[in-house]
Amino acid sequence: MRRLIFAVLMATVPAVALSAEDIQTNPPASATEAEGLEAWSRIYEVTSHSRCSNCHTGPSDRPMWSGPSYGAEPRRHGMNIRAGESRIGAETLPCSTCHGAQNGEVPHSPPDNASGWMLAPVEAHWFGQSSRTICEQLRDPARNGGRTLNEVAQHLGHDLILRWAWAPGPGREPAPYSLQEHVDDLLIWGVAGAPCPQQ
Amino acid sequence: MRLNVNGQTHEVDVQEDMPLLWVLRDELNYTGPKFGCGIAMCGACTVHIDGVATRSCTLQVGDVDGEVTTIEGLGTPDVQHIVQQAWVEHQVAQCGYCQPGQIMQASSLLDANPEPTDDDIDVAMSGNLCRCATYPRIRAAIHTAAAKMKEA
Repeated sequence: MRRLIFAVLMATVPAVALSAEDIQTNPPASATEAEGLEAWSRIYEVTSHSRCSNCHTGPSDRPMWSGPSYGAEPRRHGMNIRAGESRIGAETLPCSTCHGAQNGEVPHSPPDNASGWMLAPVEAHWFGQSSRTICEQLRDPARNGGRTLNEVAQHLGHDLILRWAWAPGPGREPAPYSLQEHVDDLLIWGVAGAPCPQQ
Repeated sequence: MRLNVNGQTHEVDVQEDMPLLWVLRDELNYTGPKFGCGIAMCGACTVHIDGVATRSCTLQVGDVDGEVTTIEGLGTPDVQHIVQQAWVEHQVAQCGYCQPGQIMQASSLLDANPEPTDDDIDVAMSGNLCRCATYPRIRAAIHTAAAKMKEA
């Protein structure tokens, strides 16, 4: 029975988390540089986490498999998967061949989300990158999709593929903190002037 | 719910989270798509959804949005699809278990890329595993099918 309850919970929790979560994007009135750097350190924990960085592979069109459920050494996505210039595998093997709309209940089944699977844009290169490198990319409108930091925070609240990082299905460690806490940190960092660490 | 498979509309009384593969095999008796791994890692269950290769073992039937084609709908023994003809010509199959998935993936590849190189074939077909290692014959058959499609 306990296994049945667990299975039912696993089947229903992600759908609830994705559809009902109401993300607030209210920036603080003020924030110091120190508070901004503190917020950034938490943001970096998220952006460098395998739930996010595995698909932020920069000029490589190969998604990565890394994190607690993939063993000690990061490795490329199995099956010789290439996302191509389209970043969705349109030229090779579409991500949608295996990645559907809802996370499966079976461990090691492909992660899914309702907005479709894809690699992040080339300029958003996070996998294996330093805190400073990611910080500078994220605050640069030329490399963050032309967004203000407030718009970056709103983007996180709206985009289902990003929400997936906190509802990744069975057997995968979610990104740290919560999506709301991550959005709050982005807003604090932005109000503080988007300070970046030395390294 | 209604499901269009191989040009026929079926009314199926199943739960929406049932994998499409189960519905095809156990409810509708389309046994061409095979159960291999159950987690979209091997490709034996590959079918087309509106012509695009899709793993049916992890796709919930309630999420199917389009017409489903299985190996039974691609061609018949009497009227074979060009890819199936090439498979026979090259005697690709050994045990045969993965071959319906291989053929569905190959025909989807040729729809998207009518003249694939060896590299194109390797990238598109690498998610379809063959324990008999018929990969060289699969690659040759896809080239033959591409050439015949060009002539047609």
